[in-house]
Amino acid sequence: MSQRNSEKITKIIQNHKLRRFLLYSIILIMILPLLYLLIWSFARRWPWPYLLPEEFSLDSWRYFFNPSSGALAALSLSFFISLAVTFLALCISIPAGKALGLYNFKGKKIINSLVLAPIIIPPLAVTMGIHINFIRLGLAGRVIGVILVHLIPTIPYSIKILTDVFAVLGDKIEEQARVLGANSWQRFFYITLPLIKSGILSAGTMVFIVSFSQYFLTFLMGGGRVVTFPMILFPLIETGNRPLAAVYSWVFILAALAFTIIIERIFKNKELSKEYLQL
Amino acid sequence: MDDKYEILKPYILLLPALIVLIVLFLGGLVSAIAQSLGYFPLIGLEEFTLNYFVEVLTDAQFLAALRFSIYISLLSSLLSVILGVFLAYQLLKLADDNSFISAIYKLPIIVPYLAATLMVFLIFSQSGILSRILYNLNIIDNMNLFPKMVFDNNGIGIILTYFWKQLPFVTLVVLTVLKNINTSWEEVASNLGANGWQIFWNIYFPISLPSISSAFVIIFAFSFGAYEVPYLLGPTFPRALPVLAFQRYNSLDLSQRPYAMVIAVTLAAISFVLMLIYKKLIKISKL
Repeated sequence: MSQRNSEKITKIIQNHKLRRFLLYSIILIMILPLLYLLIWSFARRWPWPYLLPEEFSLDSWRYFFNPSSGALAALSLSFFISLAVTFLALCISIPAGKALGLYNFKGKKIINSLVLAPIIIPPLAVTMGIHINFIRLGLAGRVIGVILVHLIPTIPYSIKILTDVFAVLGDKIEEQARVLGANSWQRFFYITLPLIKSGILSAGTMVFIVSFSQYFLTFLMGGGRVVTFPMILFPLIETGNRPLAAVYSWVFILAALAFTIIIERIFKNKELSKEYLQL
Repeated sequence: MDDKYEILKPYILLLPALIVLIVLFLGGLVSAIAQSLGYFPLIGLEEFTLNYFVEVLTDAQFLAALRFSIYISLLSSLLSVILGVFLAYQLLKLADDNSFISAIYKLPIIVPYLAATLMVFLIFSQSGILSRILYNLNIIDNMNLFPKMVFDNNGIGIILTYFWKQLPFVTLVVLTVLKNINTSWEEVASNLGANGWQIFWNIYFPISLPSISSAFVIIFAFSFGAYEVPYLLGPTFPRALPVLAFQRYNSLDLSQRPYAMVIAVTLAAISFVLMLIYKKLIKISKL
């Protein structure tokens, strides 16, 4: 009996070791490429078959920060567009999520499918179709046109996330506030908003990331006149300018990462969670 | 009065979303379909016809692109799903001290596809780090001896990019479901003598199957309709469908436009059928 037990334990330990080994190697595969990319960003000369650059330099980074490269301007435009898309998507998705999460009504099934359809049906096809109409309306080649098309691939995610949040939340608490005499704006700002905050955070982050990394829709709708960050990174990869493309990619990754972390830090502050507890 | 408002309330709340979805999404789709049927008044085409469809669907270049796109999306999605489920299960079992790992593995999700594309190029191209390592190990003495994995006819570079980006996504989706599965079932099964594999296949797998399949559908549809990765890492022949569609679209010759739209509509139609099959499967599994 005890022998069987100890056998079992050794097996569990072996399993555990194997599991760790597998996990760490998979994680390594996820991380090493990023480090390798970082080395490339400091390379001046790195011919085949050298394992490390022959010459290191800060030239590519300097070029990036030089205003004449337009990189920082493109980065700010990217931030501006993605923040605008995030704001619009949330304004659209909070009421929509409430309707789909709390109420039963005619046509709900169809609307649910319509909401999720842009995840499955390629936005590329849809945008190519609508491009001609945007040209006619004077929206193509302008920031506003780009913001509008970015809504197509993003709102399915934000509506879906907020629908789930509202479905879990239910409408009991808001109902209580109504009975106690709160008007609808008070109910929204003091009751609903704090309660769905975490849902807004994940929906907002998702929308931002999808919009921020968008290449094709911006390229098509912006027609080369709306120069977001992906617009200047793409030709660098295409022409094989490795050190510079590596710098731009790293900044791109860092910007996305910083946004996600900052949003989490700012909005997960204690003040708000205290308010939440008082409810 | 109040009653009427209550009935209308969900529709009022949905109005902004519906405007965007109907005007932009459905509007774009209808416009693409109309153009694919030859309705393009800008250059004087005003009659509906199926000719463009017939021409494109029998074109060898199109068929090669269709095969290539399906092959790339299917292989990368299958790889991501199989390894993603495996990784999620391992992460679940490592539950105690995994805060570092569970933060790190998600990193590729926020890495933009363009950056992922560059990394695959820097690692797997014939002058990439792998070929350099093989040279330094004296396995190859010339970069041309390294197998072509970027711009290659098998789309290996494209598949690797999608795999790297989508594996953590599948893991995240599946792990969320696995975490909510009642562990007492596992204890019962294990007391009855079930081994690890049996527990996985008979408890965890069936319960997480709906989210596994929806993750599959989402990543398949994404890879199937994405432009930049196959454009940057793919061969000149066959091209992926989205690349072919945009090539036709971007042509200075506007009469090429309906052909581009046929390709776009085919992309949309195949994705749509995939969604229908998925919904049928979900229904069957719920019976």
